[in-house]
Amino acid sequence: MAGKSGRTISNTPDKSLKSRLLCWESMMILLFILVNVLCICISPTYNIRNVFREMPKYLIEMFLLFPMAYILVLGDIDISVGAIVCLSATMASIATNNGVPFLVAAVIAIVVGMLCGLVNGCILTMFTELPPMIVTLATQIIFFGIAEIALGSGGSISLTDTAGYKAISAKIGMVPVVFFVVIVFAVIFTVILSRTTFGRNVYAIGSNRVAAYYSGVPVQRIRLLIFTATGLMAGICALFLTSILYGANTTTGKGFEMDAIAMAVFGGISTSGGKGRLLGGIISGFTIVCLRIGLGQINMHPQLILIILGILLIAAVLVPNISMAFTKKKTA
Amino acid sequence: MSEYILELQGITKIFPGVKALDNVHFQLKRGEVHALMGENGAGKSTFIKVITGVHKPEFGKMFLEGKEVKFKTPKDAQESGIAAVYQHPTSYPHLSVAENIFKGHEPMKGPMIDWKKMNRDADALLQQLNADFKSVAEMGTLSVAQQQMVEIAKALSTNARIIILDEPTASLTKRESEELYKIVDKLKESGVSVIFISHRFEDMYRLASRVTVFRDSQYIGTYNVDEITNNDLIKAMVGREIKDLYPKPEVEIGPELLRVEGLSRTGYFKDISFNVRAGEIVGFTGLVGAGRTEVMESICGITKADAGKVFLEGKELKAKSPQDASKNGIILLPEDRQKQGLIMDWSLGRNVTLPVIGKYAKYGFNNEEAEREVSKELLESVDTKAVSIFDKVNTLSGGNQQKVVVAKALAQDIKVVIMDEPTKGVDVGAKAEIYQIMGELAKQGYAVIMVSSEMPEILGMSDRIIVMCNGKMTGELLCHEASQEGILELAMEKHNGGNNS
Repeated sequence: MAGKSGRTISNTPDKSLKSRLLCWESMMILLFILVNVLCICISPTYNIRNVFREMPKYLIEMFLLFPMAYILVLGDIDISVGAIVCLSATMASIATNNGVPFLVAAVIAIVVGMLCGLVNGCILTMFTELPPMIVTLATQIIFFGIAEIALGSGGSISLTDTAGYKAISAKIGMVPVVFFVVIVFAVIFTVILSRTTFGRNVYAIGSNRVAAYYSGVPVQRIRLLIFTATGLMAGICALFLTSILYGANTTTGKGFEMDAIAMAVFGGISTSGGKGRLLGGIISGFTIVCLRIGLGQINMHPQLILIILGILLIAAVLVPNISMAFTKKKTA
Repeated sequence: MSEYILELQGITKIFPGVKALDNVHFQLKRGEVHALMGENGAGKSTFIKVITGVHKPEFGKMFLEGKEVKFKTPKDAQESGIAAVYQHPTSYPHLSVAENIFKGHEPMKGPMIDWKKMNRDADALLQQLNADFKSVAEMGTLSVAQQQMVEIAKALSTNARIIILDEPTASLTKRESEELYKIVDKLKESGVSVIFISHRFEDMYRLASRVTVFRDSQYIGTYNVDEITNNDLIKAMVGREIKDLYPKPEVEIGPELLRVEGLSRTGYFKDISFNVRAGEIVGFTGLVGAGRTEVMESICGITKADAGKVFLEGKELKAKSPQDASKNGIILLPEDRQKQGLIMDWSLGRNVTLPVIGKYAKYGFNNEEAEREVSKELLESVDTKAVSIFDKVNTLSGGNQQKVVVAKALAQDIKVVIMDEPTKGVDVGAKAEIYQIMGELAKQGYAVIMVSSEMPEILGMSDRIIVMCNGKMTGELLCHEASQEGILELAMEKHNGGNNS
């Protein structure tokens, strides 16, 4: 059936340098450079060797950023990931102290995380009208609760055999192993979200869940998969965390979910769903890691660092609104 | 006193880059019902906003009762007795009807709201409009038609002399429209002047004595309704002649594609059986709430039927999700384009290929180049008015959005197309194009089901017409034996004496 008017519609994408330079990710790279320049200026000990040395304890939160980005793009939220990290770390530590080999303990950490994610996913996909914020708040309390019971009266556990854990907290040259693992996951998660059919469907669900469903996107199956994958990543995060802390306690993982959400939002991923790219989230994650290391080196109070991050976050969510107000003024 | 209660001369409204209104005239007689017509984007809405003080025109004068007025804010217009009722009522769903009516001008007893008086006055206004609900009802529980009634009552409560109705019948059923006509008649009798915007010609013939047409931001003319023919009016609105609004092609009817047997869903519909053959257009009509959309949703696997079977080309089909249905070639073009049909802030191209990205992908990786080719081709084939496939859908008019929905359906391997209210909120020029596409689909041997409340298009396009009422099929008519009255009778069968909503 040919168009009667013969009108043609262009299908050449805008690949101009201007549109590429003005995108959020370019801004984030600029900010990353600025933060590093700032850190070098304020801290005499801020150099590559030290940054890599201090990096692991901040870097492990990136494991949560990757799936959290998917969840935010879906238009959902998961605030139970910190609690899943705590429960996984606890279970892995208990297993190790009972003489289980490291590899089995590692599998336990990952499976526990995955099961927790599966619980979240099952509740949310079976009862689709429930708000994910409340459901994961509830499971957060439950997972922390189970961890506390398992930890017993002392509220903490220390590894008696750290052999296997030392292997994953080792360094290759001056670069910690966890850095390579994060990079590998970063590439996998970014490519899936931006280049695959699965990724496109995730954006469709986040942009308009009903229209996506009517278009034949398996909405609930995708949500279930992503919530489960989030748990799995929390399990991996717990494993690396245990390798740094040599144990677990009741505050392990507390606040991790908020850090992951902050990194994502800072990277341009909207909490209302359907918007943003993981690349931005990853650059912002590294920016925050560097900022924390730099400010930590000049002995800035940790709470003050949090305040600075909070202000930056508010600025980040305001920028789109401000720029929208400007463009509106021009065109309206 | 001047003959005209409201007169506008040479109104020009400029938005940066666009002239939204260009030297427009308008005269409203006292106690007159005046229709304002034109395609989407002709400037009707901007014009209404000038009258209600939302926009200030750059040039032009406005006279109320012969005296020049300049409204600075919508409040000025309200105080001068001008009230507007919009298509989608802007109400407070959790407040009562009375509270909604008197929002902003509640009757007071000292510092407190005089609830008794408020409810009494509200009931009086509602009675005047023959409303079948009470002032204490919660707004959110009312139907769109009832909410509109509340809006009209609200306008009356401010002693409005001029009431503007913006597409009041767009989301109403035939019967609800009749109720609205009666209300407008009443308003007219009580000396209120009414301006109404509508895409429906029947509204205009039934209500208005004069009609003013806008096109491309310009004033085209004002005509007496009983002196202008349908074709002349369309020509004035579209700027070209539309010879046949319903271009139904001669199509050889092929074998049966879809058969539904005894489909039932408790509380929604019961014992629905029909078939559709290749090349056939079957119209589904009835009042809103008759269960037409629900039947289609069950066929497409969106909701589960309790009983009954669906056969596609003779084989039983058990669709559990829209995905199942579309895989088998049954495509639903949903009623609500903006919520169900399209992702509004996505580009045209992305929307078109959403259901079929997997088809072009290699090892799960999207083939964006192929997607761009396909979407360009399909969007051109339905003659979408757009510059680029990267345009956002929400920048298009309703008619063009509907074309994107059609292009999206065409991207899939279709056998049966179900179009639910395909011309809702679409102007007359685009309507003709959508009917044209519908005819082409039939010609290509697809089975087409059209669900519609608009009688003219049902009569104009269908080969067979199925009428539903209260969840049951009340009749099946062949195109040539159907008449508007006959259909209406079937649609309201056993309905008389029931509730009057």
